[in-house]
Amino acid sequence: MHPTPTLAPVPAPVAAPAVEVTDLRRRYGSFEAVRGISFEVRPGEVLALLGVNGAGKTSALEVLEGLAPASGGSVRVLGADPRRERAAVRPHLGVLLQASGLPGDLTVAETVRTWAGTLTAPRPVAEALAQVDLTGRADVRVRSLSGGERRRLDLALALLGRPRVLVLDEPTTGLDPESRRTVWRLVRGLVDDGAAVVLTTHHLEEAEQLADRIAIMRAGTVVAAGTREEIAETQPATVSFRLDPGTPQPPVPAGVEVVASGPRVEWHTRDLQPVLAELLTWAARAGVQLPGLQARAASLEQAFLAVADGADLA
Amino acid sequence: MTATAVPVPTAVPGGPSRLRRVGALAGAETRLLLRNRTAVVNSVLSPLLLVALVPLFGAGDAPLGQTLLVSATAFTLVFLTYYNLVVTYVARREALVLQRMRTGELTDGEVLAATAVPTLLVTAVQLAVVAVGVVVLGEWRAPVDPVLPVLAVLLGAVLMAVLATLSSVWTRTPESAQVTTLPVVLGATALSGVFFPLVALPEALATGARLLPLTPVVELVQLGLTGRTWDGEAVAGAELWWAALVPLAVAAAWVVLAGVASLRWFRWAPKR
Repeated sequence: MHPTPTLAPVPAPVAAPAVEVTDLRRRYGSFEAVRGISFEVRPGEVLALLGVNGAGKTSALEVLEGLAPASGGSVRVLGADPRRERAAVRPHLGVLLQASGLPGDLTVAETVRTWAGTLTAPRPVAEALAQVDLTGRADVRVRSLSGGERRRLDLALALLGRPRVLVLDEPTTGLDPESRRTVWRLVRGLVDDGAAVVLTTHHLEEAEQLADRIAIMRAGTVVAAGTREEIAETQPATVSFRLDPGTPQPPVPAGVEVVASGPRVEWHTRDLQPVLAELLTWAARAGVQLPGLQARAASLEQAFLAVADGADLA
Repeated sequence: MTATAVPVPTAVPGGPSRLRRVGALAGAETRLLLRNRTAVVNSVLSPLLLVALVPLFGAGDAPLGQTLLVSATAFTLVFLTYYNLVVTYVARREALVLQRMRTGELTDGEVLAATAVPTLLVTAVQLAVVAVGVVVLGEWRAPVDPVLPVLAVLLGAVLMAVLATLSSVWTRTPESAQVTTLPVVLGATALSGVFFPLVALPEALATGARLLPLTPVVELVQLGLTGRTWDGEAVAGAELWWAALVPLAVAAAWVVLAGVASLRWFRWAPKR
């Protein structure tokens, strides 16, 4: 036994962030993959980095994981530098890489046992397997596992050391809906116990289901950040309806952007309620039917697509 | 899942010892090796075949048993330890295993050491088999200094492991190791003094050959077993260790050089 470097004890729940990223930059040669991003994750909180492939999500995570140096800015995990103070951070850090990287010729149980042998305070192997529903597959070689089973094994290893900070790089890419839900349930359970989670995904649904806060990344920068409602609110609401032939055009209320004017009308507005009231009042007075009338607030998807189109929201 | 509300630990009482961590991974690596029968057969048979060819070349007028041990050390270190480790490191890197092993509590050095353990075990078994064979053939002679050959083999194994991490830098696939290892496999081996005594060379060339990585290991093993220096002079006692200083320093310098270069350039993940 040797003395393990101890981290400063984490004070009351609301206190220090578990992960602090300040103006993080990462450069490969002349290409800057991460261009100054900042965020914080507190214990008991999930942050999703959402973005298309190549947005810089994995490059950013590799710095959090302590696998790569930042070329600028700073990253603190539990108050320590994950690369230079790796020995202090690692016992509390669970990492799920995008690629599994497990030898195919070990069985599931051997793999978990091996990993447990390298950890400070591992869960019992049986508990780890039960957690991800792999008990019945314990003696199967890793190369014979399905994609979903392999991902659950990856997750079992990431959770094996009872981490306080969990970094998940595309945890459910390629999984069937059921396995995906298993993963979400496990992550939720860990968060309820006070873990801080950073994950990347390009599934909107995953970000919506799992994340307390979302940061949308594009070309190495965060272009929108907040709760899913906050991000959705950056986009206008939509009102749409059809106008039958011969029906007069309604007057366009103030603050409306006309996207289409007939026969199917589509308006964008940031003041949904007054605009809708004005439209309905006019229709009632003029005795006009508005078939197919829809009014909806912007969705996260809309915001995400707008970002993909290149508009900066933040 | 079992929803036990375990309070989040704030400090860890004490982790597994370094030895236990490396042991856990090394055990898994050894298991993997034993499950790959082709690799087991190859890694044991091919150096044995090479060793069997050695008497054909002959190396000076030393007794056969000692010649065989010197040659076996050189061949095993190069063809087994060095070559196998280059292939292993590259294969593990390209299969993303190295990067994954770095995500836990193991340090970088522990990952590399644990990965090397099966190869080092086979190296030890290989040399033990040859030594036993020499005894069985009745060719065993007590070494002039028993410590030096053991030290030479240990130093040689470390050197080969460090050279292997360095060679992996410019080896993109396990297959291309056949080419990228040639400088060591052909060049360093040919001029190591195993095939012919280096005194046969012009002095400048001999000095150059003595600076190659495998030569000092061969010199040290030969010095310890037979008490003869690289140019055939018989020494013993303090004089023997005095003669060992230069090859020890050359081997140590290679370890440092290759180690520093590996620290600088070693890649844990495939190029993207």
